[in-house]
Amino acid sequence: MTPKRTHHSFEMIRPLFLFVFGLILFSCSSQSSEQSFDSSSLRRATIEEVETLVEAFILAEDSSTIRIPEGFYDLKTQLILDNKKNIRIQGEGMHKTVLSFRNLKSGGEGVKIVGNNITIEELSIEDAPGDGIKAQHTVGITFRKINVTWTNGDKSKNGTYAIYPVQCKHVLIDSCIASHSKDAGIYVGQSEDIVVKNSLAFGNVAGIEIENCDRAEVYGNTARDNAGGILVFNLPGLPKSDGRQTRIYNNDIVDNNHENFAIPLGEDPNGNTVTMIPPGSGVVLLAAKEVEIFNNRILRNKTYGVAISSYQVTGFPAEAPNWSPYTSDVYLHDNSYDRGSFSLPDLSRELGQLVSLYNAHGWLKTQDIIYDGIWDESISSSIESNPMRICIQEAGMESLRFTRFYLMEGEDNIASFSDSSPFQQCESTPKNALSLSL
Amino acid sequence: MNVLMKRFVVSIFTIFLLLVLMFSCAPEASKQELSSETPIEILAPEDANGKFPYKRLSTYDFFTGEMAKLSPNSSLLPYQPASSLFTDYALKSRFISLPKDTQANIEGEELNFPMGTILVKNFYYPTDYRKPEGERRIIETRLMILEEGGWEAYPYLWNESQTDAVLKVVGAEKEVRFINQAGKEQVINYLVPNKNQCKSCHNKNESLAPLGVQIRHLNHDIAYESGTENQLANWSKLGILVGFEGKAAHPSVVNYEDQSQALNDRAMAYLDINCSHCHRAEGPASTSGLFLTYGQQDPLKLGVYKTPVAAGKGAGSYTYDIVPGEGDASILLHRMNSTEIGVAMPELGRTSIHAEGVALIREWINQMDEK
Repeated sequence: MTPKRTHHSFEMIRPLFLFVFGLILFSCSSQSSEQSFDSSSLRRATIEEVETLVEAFILAEDSSTIRIPEGFYDLKTQLILDNKKNIRIQGEGMHKTVLSFRNLKSGGEGVKIVGNNITIEELSIEDAPGDGIKAQHTVGITFRKINVTWTNGDKSKNGTYAIYPVQCKHVLIDSCIASHSKDAGIYVGQSEDIVVKNSLAFGNVAGIEIENCDRAEVYGNTARDNAGGILVFNLPGLPKSDGRQTRIYNNDIVDNNHENFAIPLGEDPNGNTVTMIPPGSGVVLLAAKEVEIFNNRILRNKTYGVAISSYQVTGFPAEAPNWSPYTSDVYLHDNSYDRGSFSLPDLSRELGQLVSLYNAHGWLKTQDIIYDGIWDESISSSIESNPMRICIQEAGMESLRFTRFYLMEGEDNIASFSDSSPFQQCESTPKNALSLSL
Repeated sequence: MNVLMKRFVVSIFTIFLLLVLMFSCAPEASKQELSSETPIEILAPEDANGKFPYKRLSTYDFFTGEMAKLSPNSSLLPYQPASSLFTDYALKSRFISLPKDTQANIEGEELNFPMGTILVKNFYYPTDYRKPEGERRIIETRLMILEEGGWEAYPYLWNESQTDAVLKVVGAEKEVRFINQAGKEQVINYLVPNKNQCKSCHNKNESLAPLGVQIRHLNHDIAYESGTENQLANWSKLGILVGFEGKAAHPSVVNYEDQSQALNDRAMAYLDINCSHCHRAEGPASTSGLFLTYGQQDPLKLGVYKTPVAAGKGAGSYTYDIVPGEGDASILLHRMNSTEIGVAMPELGRTSIHAEGVALIREWINQMDEK
């Protein structure tokens, strides 16, 4: 195990930027506090109504519906549905039933769900200090038409994940809105068989994130105004050790230029990987396996449209049982790109600095596709043979800005290449035949 | 890239950055605080009909004489775990009741109880911690009852006059004042969990499970009226436990407060009783990959140079759960040393910092080898 964090790739460019760090405070990342609606005009639920709601979750019987009437519910304790089956939690609509956890005194999330075949729909969840809604160890969990957000003007106070299924099977997130979370708006972790569709994620650090999951379909969504639009990660050392098979298609991944507020401005990234995401990231793959990305509109993300990267770029220890730090078997095709005009790549994060300084097309040029070019040398001595099976078949490839970096000799010998031809030989790339219907 | 080239690049950047200086962001005003008081229920007496839970604690008839004295009747047996879960400096008195003519048994690492077993745990604050046997205020009594479908937890909230407690499944909030060990007044906003929050800690593979009532936490000497004796040996003698083969034949955990014990054992005992109910493979925080059960040997699972997963602001400005030699740069300690919701660990049962616990874990991390 590597004992200390090693910036084996970017340490060199860091000193270069130390003196401009103050200036980066004023860089051109955007900030959004947009709200889908204003909940303050809603009728306040009485103390008795709030208690009845808390009790309804505690006393729920299998195969029943918990109806939550219109109103603004000021909750001081968590709503926990524990080990129940066939439950529907139903509000009167996301603009009418609002569960506010602004005054929650303890608990990691506002709403917590454990059980089988649970649906939650037609309501909003606001201002949970930790996560908005978390489902764990649930087989069959549906989130439909729910809106999870934070209304703080100061976004540093916002919670971690808005919609957070973890260790679940058969996850459906449909027509939801997730905004202003300090990590990922829609975060699916360590789960299997997942559909995220027709949803909107904005104003988050990460819009939609699929982490250590098997078989996820992400389509028909809009990820806009986040720091990063859609992320597929595999992190080391987790019970679900590696994930594979994600398809991302027919999404609008646009204007993801929001500042990365996962840490205070000017502070260095901490151990949360998301703190390293440079504003202006469309899609980020990190140690991802078998990912197909197609028919998306990847527009005006100021740093890059798609980043294909291995876990080594984080500088964290990259060894764990049953897990590989490399991203492999990527099939990227038929997406449309627009680099926008007058946009500059990010300078606040190492990955942004790498793009700004070392891309193959010139200083401060937004990239469409970047590949960190870190490969498993036990497979091939050269990257020219495309050992990690990265397949890029985009229309008009010659007009796209593609950069493959060379980082394997560390900070002293960073290089970049615009030639994408080794990665257009796609014979060995398995075409993803996954299709889930939930 | 040579030095001149770097300087050139730097100056180009400076110009660009100056051009974009005009962008900044204005914060908005936050919503107003809301507050409310939970009304106290008034209940009629009820019959002890054997259908649990009762609405009033008194209906169980656990205690003889004045209820607030918590003097157990003959069916209750006091017990003590070697190390105690920190809950805002509340003191606890604990009792167990097994149905007549039944026995618990030990099978491997498991301590199994007969149906109808009741655990009674009273949470109270002495008015003055320098006189813990003196005047006190009981806040809540939590019952865990082993029913057909498994363990169930029932929180009872004591009234102001300390004459009885009523079942309160939705939880509550109580301000508590006391004089601490140092002779200073301390105020704690004590939170009684709602019924389902109990399982946030008492959770083994999504079933409710006792924390302290496990072999390793009970396998030690305590003071009885008849003298000091190993707790499980005493239970065996009373005929309510089978399968106990002497202290050495079973796992045991030290008392983290016992300074004569090895630092590593004390620290692991602390993490076990305070954290491992969630942070273990069978617990809700298995998502994190951080496993803090007594005897955990894998450095990565203990958090050594392990990056957080879903910690959010809990990570503070730190990178790893444990940085050997640097307690104050470790996320583990940072979260123990905070009361901010979203940062503070454990997530429930603590609104104040356990200074002694923080000191112990800091010392433990500081003395770890930097490998």
